Amino acid sequence: MAQPKILVLVALASVGLAACGGSSTSGTANAPTKVQIAAEGPFTGDEASIGAGALRGIQLAVDDFNKAGGVHGTKVELVTYDDAHKAQTATTLQAQGISDPTVLGIVGPMNSSVVLASEPGLQSANPPLPFVTESASAIKVTEGGYTVAHRVNARDDKQAALDGQFMIDKGAKKVEILDSGTDYSRPLADAVEAYLKAHASTIQTKRDVATNGQTNFTTVVTNMKAFNADWVFFADEGTETAPLVQQMKGANLKIGQNIDFLGTDGEDDPSIVTGSQGAYLGAYASNVTADPQSVSTAASFVAGYKAKYGATSINDAGPFYGSAYTATQVLLQAIANSPVSNGKISRKDVISHLASDTFNTILGPIKYDSKGDVTNVTIGIFQAQGTIAAPVMAAVKSLTG
Amino acid sequence: MDYFLQNFPQQLVNGLEAGSLYALIALGYTLVYGILEMLNFAHGDVFMVGGFLAAGVAGLFVTTGVAAIPAVLVVTMMVAAAMGGSGLLGVGIERIAYRPLRNANRLAPLITAIGVSLLLESVVQVQISPAPVLVPSNALVPQIKFQFGNVSTPFVDATLLVAAVLLMVGLDLFVFRTRFGSAMRATAQDREAATFMGIDVDRVIVATFLIGSALAGIGGVLYGLQFARVDFFMGYLLGIKAFTAAVIGGIGNLRGAMVGGLLLGVLESMGGGFISSQYQNTFAFLALILVLLLRPQGLFGQPLTDRA
Repeated sequence: MAQPKILVLVALASVGLAACGGSSTSGTANAPTKVQIAAEGPFTGDEASIGAGALRGIQLAVDDFNKAGGVHGTKVELVTYDDAHKAQTATTLQAQGISDPTVLGIVGPMNSSVVLASEPGLQSANPPLPFVTESASAIKVTEGGYTVAHRVNARDDKQAALDGQFMIDKGAKKVEILDSGTDYSRPLADAVEAYLKAHASTIQTKRDVATNGQTNFTTVVTNMKAFNADWVFFADEGTETAPLVQQMKGANLKIGQNIDFLGTDGEDDPSIVTGSQGAYLGAYASNVTADPQSVSTAASFVAGYKAKYGATSINDAGPFYGSAYTATQVLLQAIANSPVSNGKISRKDVISHLASDTFNTILGPIKYDSKGDVTNVTIGIFQAQGTIAAPVMAAVKSLTG
Repeated sequence: MDYFLQNFPQQLVNGLEAGSLYALIALGYTLVYGILEMLNFAHGDVFMVGGFLAAGVAGLFVTTGVAAIPAVLVVTMMVAAAMGGSGLLGVGIERIAYRPLRNANRLAPLITAIGVSLLLESVVQVQISPAPVLVPSNALVPQIKFQFGNVSTPFVDATLLVAAVLLMVGLDLFVFRTRFGSAMRATAQDREAATFMGIDVDRVIVATFLIGSALAGIGGVLYGLQFARVDFFMGYLLGIKAFTAAVIGGIGNLRGAMVGGLLLGVLESMGGGFISSQYQNTFAFLALILVLLLRPQGLFGQPLTDRA
């Protein structure tokens, strides 16, 4: 009879230990009293379709992290900054995080234009507030010398080379290059145009602008028709794409039949097929991050996402749900690696750990260079396939390096 | 030159189609200004609400791209819902937000109007959808195109132009050929004198908001069918452009608003097609500045009344 008693004691002790570990007020020397991170992105507004999936990814990452014990037993709290793709809203929201020393970092902001407007404020805060973006790809994001800036996605110089080479390989002759006039879109379109000029001098290009926030693009469509384009390259965050491709179809420019279409990371989004009532089927889009569904180490993440948000939730997840989870993993691991003194973790330490540590993520190990860029990231090109009711972005090409 | 001649007709059609939407919304601005001398900045959002009502009706009867009942019926119900809903919304806004301020200084109703505009946008954003809502236009309008020479235009875009022109002509006839129209013009000319002549001024003002807002509602339906989506912010830029159109034409002047709208659309498409699409929006506002500098009263000058 002695043995069961011992088992009970062991069980009781372990429950007690677990209770201590799970409590944030345990008073253990190495547990922080409160840890918060912020999720920032366009969760409402014109870009809500890319923001919503990313926010779900972040939420899932925080849940998984807390289930595994949090930061030395303290659960991480997630606050949400919905910047609605507006720089001014972003800086107002970030001010809350800057003034609260228990907010240790931001996952996001998602849009390059918002990141570029936020960086000076986040850097000059005392202590500076670090961020890990899951989608901002503009080259300038990590070129400003800011120690707060990190990203898990590839930069637009890589994306531009991938896009340019893809069109060259496909035999493009006349490429209509469109941008939407934003900080993200225009430099990317410039880079693709430069790549085409440098690597295929016979390809003719024409530039036009499908302005962000507009829906009537008939003038631009007439321009591309007059130019006799056989390829359209559109660097866009995804909001203008559905009306544009629909108006192309209305002008007898049918994707996959008499014209080809290549979009960028915001357009690697099956919801554009639904939004354009099928006009987007056959279009290509590049992405600056890997598709979690084609990465073996991300299989359990994809399963967890479906379990939490529904079997078809991946269709509405947008291009960045996987990179959002990854960015959250990076930030949380940097926080967990930082020293705790008097129940506090300093953002300065989080920044230095972001710079020095190697992070294990669902998309593979991540180690930052001096700018805050990852060197070894998989990017790819996807094609809108399936039907209007069940569209998918199928991988057609991927590139690691 | 060849390039210009070859593409001019298509850009002209593009411009007229875009401009007819500006004109339809501009009518609401100009009607209210003509009668009350106030800028109803919430008008663009009344248009947006009309679009959402239409999208809601479409969503009830169209599932996965197939209409459950004949498409004509659905579109009719969309128009009815949008006209009725927007019309009543306009009347309600006047009753609650503008009438109490009718004798206040001119800045007060302007600021209230901006407040109403933000309120409508926020309510739709929070309660209905922060993201664009699909209008399944493929299931509702014939997927045919009209082709004249090298000019082609989808059915729905052409319908927009025709519908807008018919509505504008109808409104013009109503204002200039009917008794109630005379009452409207009398009220616009001198509200006090109109009261002395036995005109129920409140009724005229309510009718003005009803008509202007119902037209914006139709605009919302046509916008939804043309672009296959509506979003809570769609009234903002379109509202500003329609207002610009009304000012270019001479605010308060009905025919001016129609011509101003069409002109603005054509200016944008010509500028975007033959100068630079990067500055497409700029052309509209450049035109506004030029008109204000050279002819501050607008192209058609006097308000709708003095001309009658």
